[in-house]
Amino acid sequence: MDLLGWVTINKEALKILYGLIITIISLIIVLRTHKLYRISLHQGIRYFRNAFFFYGIGFFAKYVLESLAFIFQIDVIFIQIISILFKFFLVMAGFFLLYSLLWKKIEASKEDYPSSLFHPKISIFYLMTIIIVILDHVWLTHFFTFISQIIVFTLASIISLVNYQKNPQRQFLKFYFIAMVLSLIAWLLNAFIALYFQLNSVISISIFLINTFIFLLFLYGVVKFTNK
Amino acid sequence: MAKKRERLDVIKDILRVTRDNRQIKPTRLLYASNLSPQMFKEYVDELLKKEFIILLEDKKGKKTFSIAKKGNDFLEQYKIIENFIENFGL
Repeated sequence: MDLLGWVTINKEALKILYGLIITIISLIIVLRTHKLYRISLHQGIRYFRNAFFFYGIGFFAKYVLESLAFIFQIDVIFIQIISILFKFFLVMAGFFLLYSLLWKKIEASKEDYPSSLFHPKISIFYLMTIIIVILDHVWLTHFFTFISQIIVFTLASIISLVNYQKNPQRQFLKFYFIAMVLSLIAWLLNAFIALYFQLNSVISISIFLINTFIFLLFLYGVVKFTNK
Repeated sequence: MAKKRERLDVIKDILRVTRDNRQIKPTRLLYASNLSPQMFKEYVDELLKKEFIILLEDKKGKKTFSIAKKGNDFLEQYKIIENFIENFGL
């Protein structure tokens, strides 16, 4: 049996494995940065953690719960709800990641919100995310999610490149820029297969591998810079 | 031209002076922090609110600042925090 055939047969198991890997990486990132945030109360760390908290929930719902629901043939409405939740958490995570790079230019130093998950500036992202998810759901498409994330990661790539050029001695800024460009490529590929191919396994696996690499890159950075 | 101090650097400087002096008068801390009175007030209010420093007052009403446990924790971890923030562009 060729590799593609093996992948096709074990598709659901591989999706669960993929979901678990991303969820565990996200969980480790959230936990490892908890102490840094608790001590510094730095808003940037807070938004960065929120991004991975949302990625963790989203990927767990989509690739673990949805696959289990499919295997155990649970009601199709449950799968639809998970799909909507996945989009919501994924889009919000992208916004949080972008905002963690931008917050200094947007929030005044006097602003001190008791919660980083709910405050007036973040509520704009919630509103945009809800609109994106509703539009996708009503028109049975992924178009609005793709467009939003392509814009988010284009901006994040530009900002991280500028950060790296300003501070080249900070070695992880280069990896951060690479991670953002790879994320942009993954979203462009996602949009490409959704528009021109239906469930192309080779491209889907490539996206899974790129995403895993991006999350591992972040994990590497977080572990490296949170160690004493 | 000297680079403008980042917020985290200012906090570190205020905490370091407060720790080194054990108890420090507000006016001395203001001079040591090298901030305008208005900026100094903002930072001190924030540090008090976050319980990084505490304000002590003796029987004569003389006020001094002293570092709290959270402030000490911050100073110990400052390098790690600074490294993390700068390497992730946060």
